Amino acid sequence: MQPFALTIWKRETSRWIEKLLESAEVIAPVRGPCNDVVFSTVSYPAQVLWDFENPLNPPKQFVLPQTDPLVKIKRTAEHHEVEPVYEDARRFLFNVRSCDARGIAFLTRMHAAEPADDSYLRRARNLTIISLSCTTPCPLGFCVCSDSGPFLQGDYDIQLTDLGESYLAEVGTEKGEAAVSRAPDLFRKATEAEISQRERLEAEAKKHFGQETCHFASAMRRISTGRVPDALWEKMGDWCLECGGCNFICPTCYCFSVKDLACNGGWTRCRLWDSCQYAAFTREASGHNPRENRKQRMKRRFFHKVSAQYYQRDGMVGCVGCGRCVKVCLGATHMPAVVAAVRKGKWHE
Amino acid sequence: MSDLFLPDVARIVGVADETPDTKTFALRFRDTKTGNGFHFLPGQFVELSVFGYGEAPFCIASSPTRPATLETTVRRTGQLTDALHCLGNGDEVGIRGPFGNGFDVEAARDKDLLFVGGGIGLSPLRSLIWNVLDERDGFGKVTILYGARTPHDLVYKDELKKWAGRSDVEFRVTVDVAEQGWSGTVGVVPVLFDKITLHPQSTLAYVCGPPVMIRFVVRDLLDRGFKEEAVISTFERMMQCGIGKCNHCAIGHRYVCRDGPVFNCAQIRELVE
Repeated sequence: MQPFALTIWKRETSRWIEKLLESAEVIAPVRGPCNDVVFSTVSYPAQVLWDFENPLNPPKQFVLPQTDPLVKIKRTAEHHEVEPVYEDARRFLFNVRSCDARGIAFLTRMHAAEPADDSYLRRARNLTIISLSCTTPCPLGFCVCSDSGPFLQGDYDIQLTDLGESYLAEVGTEKGEAAVSRAPDLFRKATEAEISQRERLEAEAKKHFGQETCHFASAMRRISTGRVPDALWEKMGDWCLECGGCNFICPTCYCFSVKDLACNGGWTRCRLWDSCQYAAFTREASGHNPRENRKQRMKRRFFHKVSAQYYQRDGMVGCVGCGRCVKVCLGATHMPAVVAAVRKGKWHE
Repeated sequence: MSDLFLPDVARIVGVADETPDTKTFALRFRDTKTGNGFHFLPGQFVELSVFGYGEAPFCIASSPTRPATLETTVRRTGQLTDALHCLGNGDEVGIRGPFGNGFDVEAARDKDLLFVGGGIGLSPLRSLIWNVLDERDGFGKVTILYGARTPHDLVYKDELKKWAGRSDVEFRVTVDVAEQGWSGTVGVVPVLFDKITLHPQSTLAYVCGPPVMIRFVVRDLLDRGFKEEAVISTFERMMQCGIGKCNHCAIGHRYVCRDGPVFNCAQIRELVE
């Protein structure tokens, strides 16, 4: 499909969202019960936030739920019957930021790799991503370092950009086209002036990044070739509190464990998010643990995210520069800090 | 594939006590067609479900030359294996697989074969050993060296006797700590190397056991002139999915569940944590 650009008046977006709500679930950043911003299902358009701090939890839960049912296990007096569980709900993911759209693109690429994970891919196929470009970068974001923002070049179905009175809607896929065709009278073809305004906004946004920066290329060279001194991993490992927070809020982390949860007299076999920073992640039944120490686990996390070996496999670094780990890491061993330490060969203490 | 995580239901058709905490389970798929379509190599593993407790990886202990049942030897060491040990004939479990690369049986043809097992680590070797013995003419000299902590910890005791009694197999066994009534060799597995004649040039060595045992045996074999490519081992790692997705078994960008669990020493050297 040839991409095209439309515009919609800001005052008309409610009518569009109403139309979308008629056909599918709409997920958007909304005010949570404690006034924080969360991604959640909306029931009316006024709930959708347009000017907001990106939620601490990325929207990955809508393609990869924290507890993800895979297999239904039914028990009768004599037998067990097993059947796969699929979720086929159609969803619009509204006002997702560029970094998070890239995060979902990363997860989709990984789950599509052989053997393809149909449970994930069905959710991804049923999800229409309507992103909202960042005309003002967020304070902790460094998406520009990993080619994941502030504006997207792809990986969206529709990319919205705030033009003042209206939104530019770049339509990139057939799913995006279907979403605008729900309310065709609300959209008009974007003018040359509007498209060049978008280009100006993108260029301007790139000038306003905060202090967080991440030089992946030089860290990648050292990490891929094992040229990071063990003592440095050890030092950084000392600062890690093994909380797993960095994994759970990361838009690209997907490591999991499999458990049976009791359900209606039988069980549901579920995939549950897990953290490579937990000692039990690699502990075997025999007690042997190849990554007993924090330094080994930290080395593993950053090899998976930043090494050339994984970059070649996944087509991008395992970081979208959203800055969430900067916010949650209690030990300050977040992505920009570790990349800087690896690059300079020393920890900041 | 729409059923990556969907197990096939199998029934337990036999349980053998190996040691006080280890049992061998013989399984048969409930659906005959599934059973007939289940082809594996020695060294591959399955994800075995105990319904309600989840699933865990276990190597296949039986030989593909004996397809009537699928066997796996399990030590009781946690929630799932505890639950499995409580099951008996007729009870149902789930099977996904087979997974992993397995031993390259074709590459072993006409070669002399040296099997070195430690404790329950004999289990994946047993699959290959019976495969070789069932097609005995296709292979050279067969030597089996086996060690366990105590005589109680020896698994497949009846089969050890069979191997010891065969003229076409050289079989030696040792225990780390002897008990009353044990008149055999005492010492860790490498002590057996001095009791046999090794032919490093024509032999493939298969080593499986606890990590510390593998380390010492492999070093010894390399010192005695084995090429790295001729020393083959299997890795044990925490695994959840069996298909290279969950990341528990990752070593660098390799996955033990998919790229392994069988590696030769040259490949092991390339694996960087």
